[in-house]
Amino acid sequence: MAVMSVHQFAQCITCHAWSPDQSMVAFCPNNNEVHIYRLVEDKWEKVHVLQKHDQVISGIDWSARSNRIVTSSHDRNSYVWNLEGSEWVPTLVILRLNRAALCVQWSPKENKFAVGSGAKTVCICYYEQENNWWVSKLIRKRHDSSVTSVSWHPDNILLATTSTDGKCRVFSTFIKGVDAKDSKKSTSDMKFGELIVQLDLSSSWTFGVKWSPSGNTLAYVGHNSMIYFVDDVGPSPLAQNVVFRDLPLRDVLFVSERTVIGVGYDCNPMVFAADERGVWGFVRYLGERKTVSSGSRYGSQFSEAFGKFYGQSKYGVGNDAVETSKTRGAVHDNCINSIIPLGEHGTLTRRFSTSGLDGRIAVWDLENEQDLLEL
Amino acid sequence: MGSTTLRLYLTCIRNTLDAAMCLQNFPCQEVERHNKPEVELKTSPELLLNPVLICRNEAEKCLIETSINSLTISLKVKQADELENILTKKFLRFLSMRAEAFQVLRRKPVQGYDISFPITNYHCEEMQKQKLIDFIVQFMEDIEKEISELKMSVNTRGRLVATEFLKQFI
Repeated sequence: MAVMSVHQFAQCITCHAWSPDQSMVAFCPNNNEVHIYRLVEDKWEKVHVLQKHDQVISGIDWSARSNRIVTSSHDRNSYVWNLEGSEWVPTLVILRLNRAALCVQWSPKENKFAVGSGAKTVCICYYEQENNWWVSKLIRKRHDSSVTSVSWHPDNILLATTSTDGKCRVFSTFIKGVDAKDSKKSTSDMKFGELIVQLDLSSSWTFGVKWSPSGNTLAYVGHNSMIYFVDDVGPSPLAQNVVFRDLPLRDVLFVSERTVIGVGYDCNPMVFAADERGVWGFVRYLGERKTVSSGSRYGSQFSEAFGKFYGQSKYGVGNDAVETSKTRGAVHDNCINSIIPLGEHGTLTRRFSTSGLDGRIAVWDLENEQDLLEL
Repeated sequence: MGSTTLRLYLTCIRNTLDAAMCLQNFPCQEVERHNKPEVELKTSPELLLNPVLICRNEAEKCLIETSINSLTISLKVKQADELENILTKKFLRFLSMRAEAFQVLRRKPVQGYDISFPITNYHCEEMQKQKLIDFIVQFMEDIEKEISELKMSVNTRGRLVATEFLKQFI
C-alpha cells in the first residue's frame, strides 16, 4: 500500500504545509486560522493557532531553511510568520491587492515569494533590509482572470502561473538587488514581469502548475480532465496533452524527472509517467479503488443496481456494504486539493502528503510500489 | 417502456452531475472580500461552463448550469393536463417556500422551469457529493409518483363529493 498514514484533522482542509523536519504540520481548517500540530509519540497535538487573517486562508508555505511560514488569504492579505521563542510572530506584507489572494509559494532560495490573486495579478514579495519589511512588486496586465496557482523554477527567477482564463504563463521575476545577474541569459529576459512564454493549450480553467526538478519540464492540469506536459520551455516549447477518463485534477507533483502524481476530484492520486521516448501517459491510480463491477450498472442488472442506489439514499448512511460504483479507495472521501512533497527539495521525493476537503491529511510513500520505482 | 426511459434519463443526469459537481471555493472577482455563487451572478463569463440540457421528451427536461463554485439544476416536470399543471405548481411552490429546510433548493425556479436546486462548493464541503446526487435523482423519481398520487386523490374526492351531492336528487 502506498499510503503510510492518514489522519482526520478537521472537517475540511483548504491547504497544508510541513515544517522543515517534518515533525509539525500547519493547515487551515476552512476558517481564518492556521493550526499547527506536532506529532508526539504517535499522536497529533495542537501546538499553535495562528490567528490574524479575517477570511479563509487559501495558501500556506513553510520555508525549509529559514523556517518561516507565509500565509495568503481571501482577505487580500498575506503574513510572514517567524518563530520567536515559542510564539509565531506575524509580519504583514503589503501586497497592494484589491481582491483575494489565492495561492502562495516561497522561491527556492527563500528570499522571495509569489502570491497569485483574484485581481488577475501576481505579487512577488522580497525582504527590504533597510526598512525591515516585505515589499511587493506586481505583475499586472497579463492575466485575463484570477491566478489560481504559482510555481517557481529552480533558478529562482522564472515563475509559472495558471489562471481561470485557461492559460499557463511563465514570467521572469528578476529583481535588482535581490537576484544575482546571470551572465548566460540575455538582459532582455531579465526584466521583471517579462512574459517568457504563454501556453494556450486548455479550453478550460487551469490549476496546479509545477516544474520538474531540473526545471526542464512544466506540468499543469486543466478542468477539462487533461494534464499538460511542456518540455523545453522557451521560444519553441514541446507540449503534450494527456486526456484521462475521470474527473479533473486540482494539483500535481513531480516525484522524479519523469514521474508526476496528480490529485483531484477522484479522491485518488493518479500516476503519470514518461517513457524512454519522452511520451507521457497515465500509468495507474495510487490508492485502492473499490469498484462495483461495471456490468451491474447497465443491462439486465440495471434495476437491481438502481434499487441499491434507492436504498442508500432513502435510508441515509445505513448500508455501508453497498457502495456506489463511484466510491474510490478509503483514503480520501472528498476532493483532494493539495499535494506537498516531504523531504529535501531534491530530485527524488518518494514521500508526499495530500490534503482534501474531507479534512484528512494522508502521507504516501512510493517505496513499496515496485512498478513505479522502475520508471 | 416509460420506466426504461426514466432510468436512462436519470442515469444521464447522474453522470452529468458527477462531472459538473467538481466545485471549489472561489472568491468573487468583482467585489473584494465577497464570495458569491458565480452561476447566479453570471458576471464573469470565463468562470461559467456551457449549460447542459437533457430532455426526456418535449414536456420533461433538465437544465444543468455550472460555474467554478456553484451549479444549478432546473427541472421541468411532466404536466399532461390542466389538473396536473395546477397540482405541480402548488406542490412545488409548497416545497420552494420552505427552501431553508432543504438547503439546496431555490425559492423561485429558473425562468421556464418548475423547480431549481442551487448547489455551492460549501454544500460539497459539508455533504458528500454522491449523497447530493442521490438526493436529486431520488427527488426526480418521487415527484412523478407524488403528482400522480395527488391527482388520484383529487379525482377520488371529487367523485365522492359528487356522489353524495347527487344522492339528494334520487
